[in-house]
Amino acid sequence: MKFVFLIYHEEKTLDALPAKEMQTLVDGALDYDEEIRRSGHYIVSNALQRARTARTVRVRSGKVSTTDGPFAETKEQLGGFFLVEAKDIDEACAVAARFPPARLGTIEVRPVQELEHS
Amino acid sequence: MKYACLVYLVEKEMEAMSEIEAEACTDESLAYDEALRRSGQLIVAQALAPVETATTVRVRKGKLTATDGPFAETKEQLGGFILIEARDLNEAIQAASRIPLARRGSIEVRPIKELRPSVRRIR
Repeated sequence: MKFVFLIYHEEKTLDALPAKEMQTLVDGALDYDEEIRRSGHYIVSNALQRARTARTVRVRSGKVSTTDGPFAETKEQLGGFFLVEAKDIDEACAVAARFPPARLGTIEVRPVQELEHS
Repeated sequence: MKYACLVYLVEKEMEAMSEIEAEACTDESLAYDEALRRSGQLIVAQALAPVETATTVRVRKGKLTATDGPFAETKEQLGGFILIEARDLNEAIQAASRIPLARRGSIEVRPIKELRPSVRRIR
């Protein structure tokens, strides 16, 4: 089964980290990528730029509207995601808990939904 | 550059669709994934199961806690994402505006951040 890990954290907390600590976190995240690649769980992962770099797009009655900023202004923001393969949600959660930034933020683990043509 | 198109929608509205409407919506979404694949812009597209299936994981002081449900209870939910390759933000926004669900929900377009290892790690 496929699962996503949605990584939420307070950008302010990360911005306040000393450069050295931030780099340790990044190195830890990259090591983790490799570790779950080797264990066969990894499909794809990406860190996202800060929420303020986002644009939000809607189409209503054929008209496109674009607004600056993320969809929702929240205290914690989506900072990245993983798409992984795991036996079940328990295994997925165990894998998610090993992600080093899990110590600072929160990870939502959610099964994917496979879409099938009618 | 890579961009994440995060698709937010009201799950209740999606569930309220008739079967025919829901099928048409799925077919349209899959057709757009295919169009992005042909144009070389698609990296990965994935729909997510409803938020009620989520588990939220935290690790504090080495201790794991897992709670049922999504991280945040909101009116609109993340329903899926499309990771695309685009020349710039404008091209990414154009691609996002053609996502069929942009007519029902909202698409947050966010650039990907490439993580760079420290010199220590490269060695």
